[in-house]
Amino acid sequence: MTRLCGAGALARLRASGIKLQDERCCQLADRERRLFAGKSARAKQFLLIALIFFPALAHAYAGPGAGFAVLSSFWAIFVAFLYSFYALMTWPIRQLFRFIRRRNAYGKATFERAVILGFDGMDPDLADRFMKEGRLPNLAKLRDKGTFSKLRTTFPPISPVAWSTFMTGVNPGKHNIYDFLARDTSNYLPFLSSAEIKGPKRHIKIGKYSIPFGKTEIKGMRKGTPFWHWLGNAGIFSSVIRVPVTFPPEKFQGVLLSGMCVPDLKGSQGTFCLCTTRASSGKFREGGVRVPIERKNGVCRSYIPGPDSPLAEKAGTELRVNFEIRPEAGLKSARITVGSEKFTLKIGEYSEWIPAEFKAGMGFTAHGICRFYLKELSPEVEVYVTPVNIDPGHPDLPISHPVTYSIYLAKLFGPYATLGLAEDTWALNEHVLDDDAFLAQAYGNHEDRERMLFDALDKTKQGLCTCVFDTTDRVQHMFWRYLEEDHPAARDVPHSQHPKVIQDLYERMDRLIGRVMEKIDDDTLLMVISDHGFKSFARCMNVNAWLHQNGYLALKHGKTESGDWFEDVDWSRTRAYTMGLNGLYLNIKGREKQGIVDPAEAGALKDELRQKLDGLVDPASGTVGVTGVFVTDEFYRGPYTDNAPDLLVGYGAGYRASWDSVMGKVTSQIFEDNTKAWSGDHCIDPRLVPGVLFSSHKFIEEKPAIVDVAPTILKLFGLALPAHFDGKPWRLATKTPAVTTATSS
Amino acid sequence: MTVLSNPTAQAAAVALFRDFLLTSPLAIVVVLSLVVGLVMVVLFGYTSDQKAIGIAKDQLKAHLLAVRLYRDQIPVVMGSYGKILRGTGRYLKLAFKPLLYVIVPITLLIVQIDRYLGSAPIPPKAPFLLTAHFAGSDELNDVTLDLPPEITMTAPPVHVAASNEIVWRLAGSKDGKYEIRIAAAGESAAKAVCVGSDLPRISTVRLRGQFWRRMFTSAEPALPENSPIESIAINYPDRNIDVAGYAINWIWLFFILSMVAGFVFKELLGIKI
Repeated sequence: MTRLCGAGALARLRASGIKLQDERCCQLADRERRLFAGKSARAKQFLLIALIFFPALAHAYAGPGAGFAVLSSFWAIFVAFLYSFYALMTWPIRQLFRFIRRRNAYGKATFERAVILGFDGMDPDLADRFMKEGRLPNLAKLRDKGTFSKLRTTFPPISPVAWSTFMTGVNPGKHNIYDFLARDTSNYLPFLSSAEIKGPKRHIKIGKYSIPFGKTEIKGMRKGTPFWHWLGNAGIFSSVIRVPVTFPPEKFQGVLLSGMCVPDLKGSQGTFCLCTTRASSGKFREGGVRVPIERKNGVCRSYIPGPDSPLAEKAGTELRVNFEIRPEAGLKSARITVGSEKFTLKIGEYSEWIPAEFKAGMGFTAHGICRFYLKELSPEVEVYVTPVNIDPGHPDLPISHPVTYSIYLAKLFGPYATLGLAEDTWALNEHVLDDDAFLAQAYGNHEDRERMLFDALDKTKQGLCTCVFDTTDRVQHMFWRYLEEDHPAARDVPHSQHPKVIQDLYERMDRLIGRVMEKIDDDTLLMVISDHGFKSFARCMNVNAWLHQNGYLALKHGKTESGDWFEDVDWSRTRAYTMGLNGLYLNIKGREKQGIVDPAEAGALKDELRQKLDGLVDPASGTVGVTGVFVTDEFYRGPYTDNAPDLLVGYGAGYRASWDSVMGKVTSQIFEDNTKAWSGDHCIDPRLVPGVLFSSHKFIEEKPAIVDVAPTILKLFGLALPAHFDGKPWRLATKTPAVTTATSS
Repeated sequence: MTVLSNPTAQAAAVALFRDFLLTSPLAIVVVLSLVVGLVMVVLFGYTSDQKAIGIAKDQLKAHLLAVRLYRDQIPVVMGSYGKILRGTGRYLKLAFKPLLYVIVPITLLIVQIDRYLGSAPIPPKAPFLLTAHFAGSDELNDVTLDLPPEITMTAPPVHVAASNEIVWRLAGSKDGKYEIRIAAAGESAAKAVCVGSDLPRISTVRLRGQFWRRMFTSAEPALPENSPIESIAINYPDRNIDVAGYAINWIWLFFILSMVAGFVFKELLGIKI
């Protein structure tokens, strides 16, 4: 710029025709000379000085590398300044607008902030036992100062059902979630109950490609309004992290990261991959695939299976990401290359989250992340790869609200598990992972969520902050076997050698509570809740087998067992069937495609089934396998009751629906041992598995239920309760909330 | 390969190289920027802590997003702004080490290129100023100027006693590189002057001592330490490159193009900057 000015000055001088003899000319000439001779030199000297004393400025001259650094830094500051300025300038206007619209959002609130920690599956009996043993000092503090109570769960006591009730304050008949799975009455096949993902309807064919035209449609199947929407409408901010059945995320005033029910990149609820040189034709029952490793000249090559190509004409054309394993000397570690990522793994070690980009061509790429776990290098090579999670830093499907929230968390803490059921229970069930590897994975995810929670606590000084931890559920499912003396899944390990995994888990959660308590003051209500408790799962019961043996379900002629999803069931002679964890359905005429039960006779059939199944005894042990059968008409109310099962089977403690029964398979045996690592469960009689309620302030309520949480929170923030709520707000003993009138929403 | 073995293509390539790439400042800057962009990005990649830079950048982005996500919460906004400032400092600190590696070669390169592209030679018959700066005012009285035949004085010299300088107004008659000699107090010194329109290596000033200034501005040997003359300068006109109708100094063009090239190459090579 100065150089241009110098040239301009000379031109002006020349144009003026002034002679250089006089002093003025000399001064001008001097200025000219200095401008010309000195400018470039000064600039470069400045550069050198800047280099030494002001490296930031010098960056700009140091070529593209550091130049970018300085530019991006200034850009970051500039954008931040603009944002901050905008936020500061518009804040009073926004506040005024809110004031006019809703009056003072926190004016009637009893607390400035409510923090709800969801410990999925925390069991009140175990918590009580460990508190009495002095292992849970922080939960004991809550018990002594505030509340400790059992929390009635939903019918059935399944996480998606219970958490849906938690957030909406209504029974399943109003939120439409009855299980992980729902059945399609037109073909008796299951589908995911929480969300439906449909690809674009139209495609344009170009050569070998079929290019999708339009958007992927993601439809949330959970109905009802989460209570943080009501809070948001009143101007109260919420941070909601990993609450189940929040996929797809809905718009509200706050931030939300979806939890349980978020699919992996394949669209499944989690498909791990075992890459192996071992020849095996065996398939995993569910949740995983076996992929061969090709070994050549000391280099092993394999691939990660990904989603189907959106461009392929034929459905089921799988995209893949290739990777290479180079065992290192000593065969204790290997160098793994995935795309541009290279890392070294020791045997028994997890990698960090590795990006996996599945390229379909024509610029279509699915962005995922996964972790590698090196199992073995000699004599065979085996690598476990986690299900490919949706990349939170580059989400191809919305997993948060706003979309930038998942990106924000990824940038702040690095990549993290986004899959709903991120702890790979199937891999442990199938012996692909051992106990330690599973725990390392589960606690790795847990630590990520702890970081997210503490960030949300820092950011949400007013309003609602809620976070659900799945670790409690997954670890109890997989390690309950070590709590008991003679669990079928742990008979090979002497009881004295059983690791204290669940005890450690509760202690870990207690320490988390302790750290949270350090972050809150008396103006914050802290609640720790669980959606259900836990019991042993030692014996499986195949209700389909019972229905078959008792004449309610018929197989095709010559068959004694069926395949998955009722493969050999003769629907023309079947009156009842079961799929999923607790639901029992009648094959009703006009509702099911091949229904035979007259709707008028359905009531009688339900009663008959209830009478026969309730109290059913396991002949092997003499204990009651079914402690209750519930006719859903009697307690579900709402617009979606048509989708509900007709009956719910409440298994006794130690029992649960068999793995085959869940998948619509009819076997010859009704009862059998459960020898899988998945050895604890809660999908039983809901009366046997209440959740927990801890709170920092005392509630006066004899029989609190999970359905009451939403109305309680709304009342504590001084909001009117929507009339359709099924729950009732609890009364607070130590603080009196502002009087609120229950009115229609 | 077939194309390269074709004599016509070869001739065309040679002509392009000789007539355009070597003589066009724009072509030189473009090629140079691409090469520098690539080399510097690679060098940056090798000399920097890529992982730490990635984390620092991600953190910066996170705090930026936080300002947006929590815009109704002023303490969060201000806190994030503070973190952005701290994060920027951390980021620049991480970029400092690679900067040390790249700054020396790039500075030397810029200085050298500036000799060719920074100034244009004096057009034939156009007047220019030759300024000699002396150690003391006494020397001004006994100065002679020895000009080659192609250079003529177009006006009497001006003595500026206040700054110990004499300024001559000269003009060159034809293209070429000439030597002008100035004698004072029994000592003489020469200064090269370039007349024409090519891309000669130009030295705008010849200096006595002043190592750093000489390094950045002069392309000639230092004047002897005992010389009464401290500097001899010529006011060469700036060389500007015409880009889309705008006259731009090469250094800005180089800066922009090398950044663009660097941006492209960093993406291609997966290097975090």
